Order: sequence, then C-alpha cells, then structure tokens
Amino acid sequence: MQNVYTVGQVNRYVKSKFTEDYMLNRIYIKGEVSNCKYHTSGHIYFSLKDESGVIACVMFAGSRSGLSFRMRDGQKIIGLGSVSIYEKDGKYQFYVKEAVLEGAGLLYEKFEALKKELEEMGMFSAEYKRPIPRYVQRVGIVTAKTGAALRDMIHISHRRNPYVQLILYPAQVQGEGATQSIIRGIRLFQKQKVDVMIVGRGGGSIEDLWAFNEESVARAIFESEIPVISAVGHETDVLISDYVADLRAPTPSAAAELAVYEYSVFQSRLREYREYLQKELLYKLRLKREQCIQTGDKLRLLHPRQKLLQKQQFSDELMERMTRSLLHKIQTDRELLVRYQMRLKAYHPEKQVLEKRQTAERIREKLNRQMRYQIEKNRHKMSVFIEKMKGLSPLEKLNQGYAYVEDGNGQVLSSVSQTEKGHTVAIYVKDGKITAEVKEIHLGGMI
Amino acid sequence: MTVAQEQEKKKEQSLEELFQELEIIAANLEGEVNLEESFRLYQKGMALLKQCNDRIDKVEKQVLVLDEDGETHEF
Repeated sequence: MQNVYTVGQVNRYVKSKFTEDYMLNRIYIKGEVSNCKYHTSGHIYFSLKDESGVIACVMFAGSRSGLSFRMRDGQKIIGLGSVSIYEKDGKYQFYVKEAVLEGAGLLYEKFEALKKELEEMGMFSAEYKRPIPRYVQRVGIVTAKTGAALRDMIHISHRRNPYVQLILYPAQVQGEGATQSIIRGIRLFQKQKVDVMIVGRGGGSIEDLWAFNEESVARAIFESEIPVISAVGHETDVLISDYVADLRAPTPSAAAELAVYEYSVFQSRLREYREYLQKELLYKLRLKREQCIQTGDKLRLLHPRQKLLQKQQFSDELMERMTRSLLHKIQTDRELLVRYQMRLKAYHPEKQVLEKRQTAERIREKLNRQMRYQIEKNRHKMSVFIEKMKGLSPLEKLNQGYAYVEDGNGQVLSSVSQTEKGHTVAIYVKDGKITAEVKEIHLGGMI
Repeated sequence: MTVAQEQEKKKEQSLEELFQELEIIAANLEGEVNLEESFRLYQKGMALLKQCNDRIDKVEKQVLVLDEDGETHEF
C-alpha cells in the first residue's frame, strides 16, 4: 500500500498525458451531432457519434467564431480541436475550436473559386449596381411560397406601407431544380412592372442555401433590368447572390424594410413640403404687401400738394427764424447796453475820489504804524544802551573793589611814568577818597 | 411638347423624380422671384404634391402570385 494517489492527482496525471500527445492536441474528428445544447453561457455542449461510438464535445463561447452555422442534432460535421480530460468528471472530451458541415469543405472551395472568378469578371463592381428606388409601388419577390421568410416580408411590407403591391413568384429554393426555378422567377419579373425585386429565402444549411451560390443564378441577377435585393438566410450567411445583387439584405425581413418605404414617413414628407410651400408663399405675399405700403408712402410724398405743403412749411420756418433772430439781436443789444452802463458807472469820478481818499487813509495809517514802530524800536535800543552804560560806569567798577587813582593835578594816573617817588596821589574807592604818597615805583609786572 | 405629352411624361416620372422637382420648386420659391412666379411655383408644387399622393393607389394590396405564363392571380 505504498503508492496511493488522490483522484485529483490521477486525473491531473492523465490530463498531462493527453496534453503531451501531439495528435490529440490538434485533431479533426467527424461524426453526427447529437444531444446538442446551446447553453445560456454561450458554450455549446454536444456529442459526436458514429456507428461505433460516442465522444462528448464542447465548443466554448470564445470559439464560436469558428462556427458559421447553427448546430443541430443529426448534422454530420467535422470538428477541429483537442481531446483532453475534464478533471471534475474524470472524463475525456473533445474541445472543438472550429466546426464545418461535412462536405462543406468542398462546397466552400467551390464558393471561393466562383466568387473569385465572378469578382475578376467585374460582376460585383459598384458601377453595375442599380440604385434601389426609394418609393416603390410594386415589389417582386422570388422565394418559397411557404415558410417564415415570405410571411415576414409580407408582414413587414404591410406594416410599413399597405399600398405597396407585392407580387410573389413561388420559387423552389432548395433541392433539385431550385436554380432553374429561381432564374425563371427573376426572368419572369423582367416583363412585369415592378420597381424592385427581392430574391431570397430563410435560413438553412449551406446545402439548402446553395442555389444562391450558383453561377447561373448570379448571372440572372446581374442581367436583371430591375434592381435586385438579395436576402438569403441569416445575417451570417453570405452568398454569391449577395455579392452580385444591387443590394444585400442580411435577412428577408431586412430586405422588406429596405425595399418598402414607410407610408407615414412619406405622408409627413408631403406635409412638410406643403407647409413649406405655403409658408414661402405667405412670406412672399407679406413682403410684397409691405413693398406696396412703402411705395404708397413714397408716392404720397411726391404729390404736388405735399410739395406745396413743404414749401409752406419752409416759408413758415423762415419767418420763424427771422423773427427769432431779430428778437435775439434786440436782446443782445440790450445786454450790451447794460454792460456799458455798468462799466461807465465803474469809472464815475465820485468813485475815484472815494478810492483816492481810501488810499490816502491807508497810507496815513501805514505811516503811523511805521512811526510807532520806530519809536518803540529806538526806545528799546535806548534801554539796552542804558543797561550797557550801567556796566561801563567807573563807579560800578569801584563797587567791585577797583580803585581810581589821580595825580596831584586831578589827572588820571594810569602809568608809572606819570608819577614819581614822594608824589601825592588821590585814590578813590567805593565809599570815599584816600590821599596817599608814592613810596616806590616798579616798572612792569603787576606783582 | 403638347400638354398630353407633358402629362404623359409626368406619368412616367417616379415619385423620387417628383420629389426632386418639388425640391427645385421649393428652392426657387425661396429665391428672388416675383409674386406671379411665386404663385405659379406654389400652384405647381401643390399639384405635384397631389400627384405624389394620387400616385399611390390607396387600396390595401393583397399579395399577387405570378405564374409561369407571366399572369398574376390572387395569393
């Protein structure tokens, strides 16, 4: 009991073996579809079976671009993908990346070859495309008498415009003789008065749709005098008839929408035109009426009476102006006079005398003021002198301890040379006189 | 061109052509035209509108079937 593994380990191991296998990684498997389920997630779950067995298959939503048809039970297909283990269930399954209907490969090649050939011949060229008339009255339809395609087209056409005539050529659209039937329909409509033709059918397998990939059908469409809308299968189905037709509709319903205009839109267009025309005409009328009024006004202005009135008015105006200017003149003269009077008054002698008197008075006052000032000034000066003089008085000096010396003759003694030993001198001090005799004389130096 | 011919020509005109003509009339009416011309254009426009409307056979159409002889029958 040494080597025991978990389920997960085993499943992973087996898966790795599958993954390592070169062939299983990219393999084509053919078989019949059964138990096909389109899951809401977008993944498709189904089985492929043959007489000998079954293999579980899944096509993930991400690979859906590799599927150009709707998968159904019973279809024989060839799938391309890888075979691997789904670990959760421990089952192996076929992971399909692309799938084609068996036999489609050959058909596809045929399709591509014809498409290339016709394209080179210029049959798809835009210059050959006839415009689809916008307002059709009769629409030819080449399709099967029974089936959703015709029902949808009738329904949509009636809803959009019940007055459009639909004419059906009940064609055989698949199987033996379909090609001839479709061509016959297209040709028969050439003699009918139809504005446009819808050639098509509802969805089906590529084999079902194949008649619309036939060269003879393409030629019939190309040669049609009447514009052709090709409407085959679903949106994803693109056929030779789509390339060669004047317009490709993704589905028969869409073809009816493209071919049949909406009656209500048409009516509103008519209404718009009607309103527009009315509006324009009313505008023109109003404009002209205004012009009439204006012209009338102009004419009235040109009437002779009007001229006379104008002249009268002019003369009235002149008169008025003259009167006004005369009055004005009088007024200005009067004003001038008043001004002169005032000026004269200003120069009256009495006034001059008064002025002179005033001037004299002013001068007198000025003089007085000046005089008073001078007196005051000198008085002040004098008091200053008095003070000064006070300071200079010899008596004042005596007060300060100085003495005044006179010789015997009453002369001021100011030098040693003026006296001699034995002379009598008078010395005056603050409060009296001293008579003294000169005892000695020294020249020079105070002490 | 006689009146009859003109009418014949009108008959041949598609609704699309009639609308084109209306467009031209509308443009002319918008432009500098005198009052008489405006009236004429207006009348013509109204006639064209009527023609457009009349062109449609206002009977609900049943689908017809085309047989091999090119004959049509009720569906």
